Amino acid sequence: MLADSSIVVLALPEIYRDLDTSVAGVTWVLISFNLVMALAAVPAALLARRVGPGRTAAVGLAIFAGAGLACGLADNLSTLILARCVQALGGAAAVTAALELLPATVGSERRAAAIWASAGATGAALGPAVGGILTELVSWQSIFFIQVPVALAAAVPILAVAKHEASTQVIEPELRRTGRPHMAANIALAMVSAAIAAALFLLVLLLIEGWRLTPIGAAIVVTVMPLAAILGSRLDSLVPSARARAAAGAILVSGGLAGLALLPRAEVALTVPPQVLVGIGLALVLSALTETALGGRAPQAIHGGWTISARHAGVVIGLLALTPIFTADIAQQRDDAIDAGTAVILDSKVSPLLKIDLAQKLGSRLDDEKGKVPTIGPAFEPLPEDAGERAEVVELRDELQEQLNRGATHAFSPSFGLAALIGLLALIPIGLARRIEL
Amino acid sequence: MNPSPADGGRLRGQLLVAGSIVAALLLVGAYLAAGGSSYTPEKTQDPCQPRPWRDPDGLQEIAQQFSLSALDGAACQLGVSREALAQALATPEARERFSERYGLDDEELAKAIRAGLLRAVDDAEEAGALSPLIGGPLRATIEEIPLDRAIELVNDASSLLDTFGGLLGPASSLLEEFLP
Repeated sequence: MLADSSIVVLALPEIYRDLDTSVAGVTWVLISFNLVMALAAVPAALLARRVGPGRTAAVGLAIFAGAGLACGLADNLSTLILARCVQALGGAAAVTAALELLPATVGSERRAAAIWASAGATGAALGPAVGGILTELVSWQSIFFIQVPVALAAAVPILAVAKHEASTQVIEPELRRTGRPHMAANIALAMVSAAIAAALFLLVLLLIEGWRLTPIGAAIVVTVMPLAAILGSRLDSLVPSARARAAAGAILVSGGLAGLALLPRAEVALTVPPQVLVGIGLALVLSALTETALGGRAPQAIHGGWTISARHAGVVIGLLALTPIFTADIAQQRDDAIDAGTAVILDSKVSPLLKIDLAQKLGSRLDDEKGKVPTIGPAFEPLPEDAGERAEVVELRDELQEQLNRGATHAFSPSFGLAALIGLLALIPIGLARRIEL
Repeated sequence: MNPSPADGGRLRGQLLVAGSIVAALLLVGAYLAAGGSSYTPEKTQDPCQPRPWRDPDGLQEIAQQFSLSALDGAACQLGVSREALAQALATPEARERFSERYGLDDEELAKAIRAGLLRAVDDAEEAGALSPLIGGPLRATIEEIPLDRAIELVNDASSLLDTFGGLLGPASSLLEEFLP
């Protein structure tokens, strides 16, 4: 569940095509889940305290599995979004209840907090690869179907706990007074999550929709980010100051996003350095802020609920703020790039009849792609037999594709730039929080 | 005096923050230096501005320049770019979308394309690629043609010029005198 967004994001372009919707529409597959998670996390944690974490987790997992099945069977966007909302309700119950169960299982709340933070990073690391491979080799539906057995398998050991709870007094007498959530850490967590969600979501869309990589290709590329996060998590033990780790992490995330906003060319290799910065940064900042928000606070489930709520609210804010910007920009940049490409064709030296043929095929490609950034290679097939003319046409094709790629890349720049700014603004709550030191 | 573990931890924290700032600035600086902020899509030229004919050598090249002038003229008349109009004329579906977007009916589109073809005749005469002797009949022909035929002529001006090919030959031979 912690990896949900990073898995689903790889399937979004496929869902977008299959359900014949818009980029803004398909974003709600992510927004709806994260919104309900943000709203339901704390109430679910309270419920877990009241009726028992075992029972709450078991019911939550069952709801999550059932709704996952409904997601996979959805044949339109509205049904899919509705199922995602239900799935998030189950997810919120299962995750917060699991957090309540964790300290008893691992022996201490501190250790539970650390495991919780690393579980999020592991989920994020595996998510893109799982999402990309399933989407490309099977279908977008499979990313939801596979959640069903996984959730049911997780429910099996929890059933024993649930049965035990049913036969004993509910833990009401053990309830401790719930302290206020750590506001600064949770606000910073929300802002950083907004920036990180933007990094993953925008980068996947840029790679698949802008540069036309396959889902597996895009998954391989964006896996750089979580791999770098594993590297970043090693710095945790070297630097005891949570404030320093949080600040450094926010700076690295923002720097990486600024790099993505300033990509000089449409080349996959150029996304690697910014991803490394974002990955190391997210490991530092998320673990520091989560540990701070949970550290010394009880009960863990309630404060864990607040961190879950903050993180998912951040994802919602990030997607809601950035989607309208980049969807408008990508349409404008696409039109500008196509106009510039058409000018290249019209001003080229290829023969007039070939030029007309190219213009017509290009027009057909634009029709086929229904307003998306097109792959224009097929418009230039078959290449002329005459060697000189073929060279001219190949040069023309490459120049036109370059125009489109650069236009698509640039279309994402303002959104990456804004996400970098949001990440940088997280330094304010980090800097203001006196109690952020563990 | 040896630093305390707390001092060592604080120093590592400060180094981590400083290192992060340096890494972020290096990346941003490198991408800016590589032209990361310099992208602007190539601007399309105003179709109402004259576009000099280049190297009109032979019927094919003259036909090509004629088509481009016709596109410029029609686009100027409609207040759109030459490129947008060229895309619109590529397929019937694209033309329909274009007409809907700009609120045009077939007659208005035909009128604009005829105006474009007339400008192409003017430009061809000015470039010395077309004899003034055939300008008159050509204009009369253009004034009468229906929309579909007008679009065909923009796409393949050589068919129109072929009709007047006998008169075009002498004009073509004069080109080198008129053009650099």
